[in-house]
Amino acid sequence: MVIDVHVHPTGYPQVAQDPESRAFRDRVYQRRTEDALSAPIAMTGKPSGGNGGGNKNFDVLFTRMDHEGIDRFVLLPLDLTTRYGGWIVSNDEIEQIVAAAPDRFIGFASVDPYRPDALEVLEHAFKDQKLAGLKLHPSKQAFYPDDPMMEPIYKKCLEYNKPIMFHSGMSCEPDCLVKYARPVHVEEVAVKYPELRICLAHFGWPWATETAMLCLKYPNIYTDTAAVPMDSPEVFFRHIFTREWGPTWFEHNFADKVMYGSNSPRNHTHGIEKLEMRPDTRAKLMGGNALKWLGMEVK
Amino acid sequence: MVIDVHVHPTGYSMISQDPAERKFRDKVFQRKYDESKLPIAMTGKPSGGNSGGGNSEEVTFTQMDSFGIDRLVLLPLDLTTTHGGWIVSNDQIKQLVDFAPDRFIGFASVDPRRPDALEVLEHAFKDQKLAGLKLNPSKQAFYPDDPMMDPIYKKCLEYNKPIMFHSGMSWDPDCLIKYAEPINFEEVAVKYPELRICLAHFGWPWAVETAMMCLKYPNVYTDTSAIPMDSPAVFMDQIFNRTWGPTWFEHNFADKVMFGSNNPRHRSQRMMQGLEKIEMRPDTRAKLMGGNALKWLGMEVK
Amino acid sequence: MVKTTTIELISKKEFELIRITKDILKAVEESGIQNGVVFAITAHTTTGILVNESLACLEVDIEKKLEELVPTFDSYNHNHFLPSYGAIGCNAPGHLKSMLCGNHAVFPIVDGHVVCGNAQDVYFGEFDGIQRRKVYITVMGE
Repeated sequence: MVIDVHVHPTGYPQVAQDPESRAFRDRVYQRRTEDALSAPIAMTGKPSGGNGGGNKNFDVLFTRMDHEGIDRFVLLPLDLTTRYGGWIVSNDEIEQIVAAAPDRFIGFASVDPYRPDALEVLEHAFKDQKLAGLKLHPSKQAFYPDDPMMEPIYKKCLEYNKPIMFHSGMSCEPDCLVKYARPVHVEEVAVKYPELRICLAHFGWPWATETAMLCLKYPNIYTDTAAVPMDSPEVFFRHIFTREWGPTWFEHNFADKVMYGSNSPRNHTHGIEKLEMRPDTRAKLMGGNALKWLGMEVK
Repeated sequence: MVIDVHVHPTGYSMISQDPAERKFRDKVFQRKYDESKLPIAMTGKPSGGNSGGGNSEEVTFTQMDSFGIDRLVLLPLDLTTTHGGWIVSNDQIKQLVDFAPDRFIGFASVDPRRPDALEVLEHAFKDQKLAGLKLNPSKQAFYPDDPMMDPIYKKCLEYNKPIMFHSGMSWDPDCLIKYAEPINFEEVAVKYPELRICLAHFGWPWAVETAMMCLKYPNVYTDTSAIPMDSPAVFMDQIFNRTWGPTWFEHNFADKVMFGSNNPRHRSQRMMQGLEKIEMRPDTRAKLMGGNALKWLGMEVK
Repeated sequence: MVKTTTIELISKKEFELIRITKDILKAVEESGIQNGVVFAITAHTTTGILVNESLACLEVDIEKKLEELVPTFDSYNHNHFLPSYGAIGCNAPGHLKSMLCGNHAVFPIVDGHVVCGNAQDVYFGEFDGIQRRKVYITVMGE
């Protein structure tokens, strides 16, 4: 079972493609809408073509998943209601996408922690929409993970046994302070809620060693490979796995903690296959750890 | 054009003649010795610490000519409210620049807590024609994103002047490193995207954090004046090829890193020789050694 | 009688052999001492005083061999920050070359003349330039 735990389905057909929705996403990303709308079809139409585009069906996507041997995508929405008045992919849209291909997609919820009805949105997502976990983005949503305001949200996740995917470390997006997403800000969450399964995405780069420390100390903290590369993914992964981390750290300490994630549509993953590791470690990295984190492990 | 963007002229004889001032420097740096009791040869030697009077302009110019260093960026430090004085004042910088305008690029400093901070800065930019601002969050004890700093940043923008921030570790006593962590500059870069800032010393020990700042924010630069644990050749290799991935610099930061020596902690040429050991294309090296500094200083010929 | 004079100079390179023979002869002459010894003593720990034949080819050989023995780029324990000094100690090669060459030279003075071989010249060896340097010339005798 190969699971990509970090996919942004912004270009999927179920995600609103009306000019207004696309303009909203362009505004959030501070892109020029007219450029996006006048871009050639090949650019707006393909799954990997930026965040605002929309392909008409999943033919290309599923062909590619089959070709690359990827069984499941974890799809991540983002609720920016109080800061921007909208969503970059909503929970409803995720629900629709999952319904279209439940054997391919694992849908997450998101919730803006500042919205007054945050708990209701989350309850609805878990109870009625059956979404599989929660995506939070401390930088884009502008909160510190250890803010006491977050506690009811964490408790709701525990109540439904759902994991949280935290954006961690740098995000290239505008209006998105990196400081909120420093890995160590999650420490008190891990201490207070030791049963809560948390993923600090992107290796928390530029704090990959801090992320290592948190994975080492706290049993339910995971990370994923959806790092923003400074170079080709091949070069960047080798740097993280063998240089920034000591060459034995991953296999000796974090074989159960790192999950394969692509950050698609940025989709930078080639190179992972070139990292040397035992076959059983690779199986965990590519899907086994994700099943555990998702709470879907067959026992 | 080779520019050393990080030079402390504390030892220059022209500005080190006053014993009271030398004593103040010793006090600030908590240096224990009594200068008057040292043998003659020690007080006179060029490399002898920050407060000595021996690093004559003549020696400096000989070094610059011999190693092909065209300009030195001279940095003062205003510690009026924290220590009651300056480690090199704006006036002294002006004096040095007037003495050798073809050698020195003079920066101003200002203690952000002095009530007349804006006037001091206005005078430095408008009348003294100083080329930028030096701030040391650790020694001056402020967080760069403190709202108190906003008028100062606005004044720099008004005069189109860059800021050299001390970043990361400093050896100085009474100088908390926490203030100078690279991430603390993020909100400055977000609020004033046009402001050209240098996070000096690679922000070490947070060199990867500094890389992130340079990657995300177009007007954030860094300089090579890192306080090494080894020779420049070894330490620069550590930063450029190990702490950073070996391709990061040339693929991502060729326009962002500036040659700086932290003289007198290092002689300029020693840092230069260390950097010569780092492999890069000739055009990248030209940027590192001076091209990026011209851009950061706003002195680029367009 | 003992008379000490000081030569001051600024070296122009990182490694430089600067002839000071004439300064020594002059100091002896000015001292008026007729019989005794003259010392040339460097005031520094990254310089040396050498006595050798003053030929450009030999100067190259001396520099090359010292560099081979004490490479500029090598792993030296001295390469670290010296808090008491406020600077980085990156001049270990200078110290070690200084050790190899010694800090002084000495010659007899007989009847007012410095006694030395035809090939002998005295060099101030700079191994850590560019700096302002001092050499003491001490003449002892009567």
